[in-house]
Amino acid sequence: MQCELLYRPVSTIAQIRLEAGEQVLVEPGAMVGMSTNIDMKTGIPAGASGGMLGKIAGSVGRLLTGESFFQNTFTAQNGPGELLLTHELPGDMVWIDLPPSGLKVQSTAYIACTTHVQMQAELGGYRTFFSGEGLFVINATASLPNQKILLGAFGGIQKMPVDGHLLIDNGHLVAWDGNLSFNLTKASRGWISSFLSREGMVCRFTGQGNVWIQTRNPSEYGTVVGRMLPPRTN
Amino acid sequence: MNHEVTHAPAFSMLRVDLQPGETLVSEPDAMVAMTDDVELEAKLTTSPDAGVGTSLKALVAAVVRKFLGGESFFVSHYTAAGGSIWLAPTMSGSIVHYPMKGASITLSSGAYLASIGAIDVLARYGGLRGILAKEGIFFLEIHGQGDLWFNSFGGVDVIDVDGSYIVDTGHIVGWAGDLEMNLRGAGGGLVGVFASGEGLVCEFTGQGKLWIQSRNVPSIIDWLSPLLPG
Repeated sequence: MQCELLYRPVSTIAQIRLEAGEQVLVEPGAMVGMSTNIDMKTGIPAGASGGMLGKIAGSVGRLLTGESFFQNTFTAQNGPGELLLTHELPGDMVWIDLPPSGLKVQSTAYIACTTHVQMQAELGGYRTFFSGEGLFVINATASLPNQKILLGAFGGIQKMPVDGHLLIDNGHLVAWDGNLSFNLTKASRGWISSFLSREGMVCRFTGQGNVWIQTRNPSEYGTVVGRMLPPRTN
Repeated sequence: MNHEVTHAPAFSMLRVDLQPGETLVSEPDAMVAMTDDVELEAKLTTSPDAGVGTSLKALVAAVVRKFLGGESFFVSHYTAAGGSIWLAPTMSGSIVHYPMKGASITLSSGAYLASIGAIDVLARYGGLRGILAKEGIFFLEIHGQGDLWFNSFGGVDVIDVDGSYIVDTGHIVGWAGDLEMNLRGAGGGLVGVFASGEGLVCEFTGQGKLWIQSRNVPSIIDWLSPLLPG
């Protein structure tokens, strides 16, 4: 399987080339185009706990993360084929090797992954983290080596190496290595400065690993543009 | 101070590496990331060394900036014993670095992103021409010495004006040097003003630098508004 990112960074499309028999899991609505020999099946993705009950539990969790209940599986039949995938927001994409410790993904960033990636919604503790933004965190782990995940962002994507500590504004988070620990902290030493600077709470990462950030904040952008639009009449 | 602008032109982000004793000032809510050793404080003024005696003046200036200049009441001050800060504006667009050497620069309201050094940001009444130019009633007049970063909506271009130059309203980011701004019709008389789709334009005369942006916010809002469900 090969993935090439076209039209970066503003209107990025992922061109995934599948060998005969290869499969990729895709978030519903992301497909733009595909070869006619690619077969699409809609199903409930396998939960980490396995079995039908585990599958359903996993899917309900995914529903809570704002992701779809169903995932589409695309399979190249009788030869190679290509698949074009997009994201709803203008911005860049990354095709990442899933690290051994797994990857935490901000829910709206997920687009696609290889078939041996398990995704679980992590609900506890994140509610205040992305407060009011309808965002949750997906814990993506691999059951086999060499697994890949495709993520999309609002704006450019920058990989920020963490060696020690790094503070990131929540609205700019895309994904981070599973072995990084983090806590919510005030942006400034004092509550008043944190509030007045409008930075409020930020995410403080600790450890060694990478954080992927997006160079624009979708909810902030929406708030600013929303204020300029005519008010809803209903 | 080291700095770098990445992801230009659509999604520009600024990284500033601070030396000990340096203070970076930015508009609030612009911080994307910072290293752990950076201290953030909200203050009324962009000038880092303002004492108690200047605080009333700073308060008045902040009120004017906030309510009339389209900028914020408080600004963020970042200080570090060596550390990095990443900043991004809210809207899509570019970031321009401008070294300030004592002469002033005028920016349209909302274009200020960040600064280092003894730099004052004041709101200046632009009068009727400011409103008609779709740049707001006030412009930002920036004085001092240091480094200034400002942002545009869309791509940004700099024009060396020697004589005169015409820019469509809504596309002005800022200007520096000996330039005077006046409003006029784009041509074709009264019919031209209403029928050409160009309406009023801004004419700059003199010698100086002029920054223009490839998109303007009022136009995209005018396009988007009728598409929203009623």
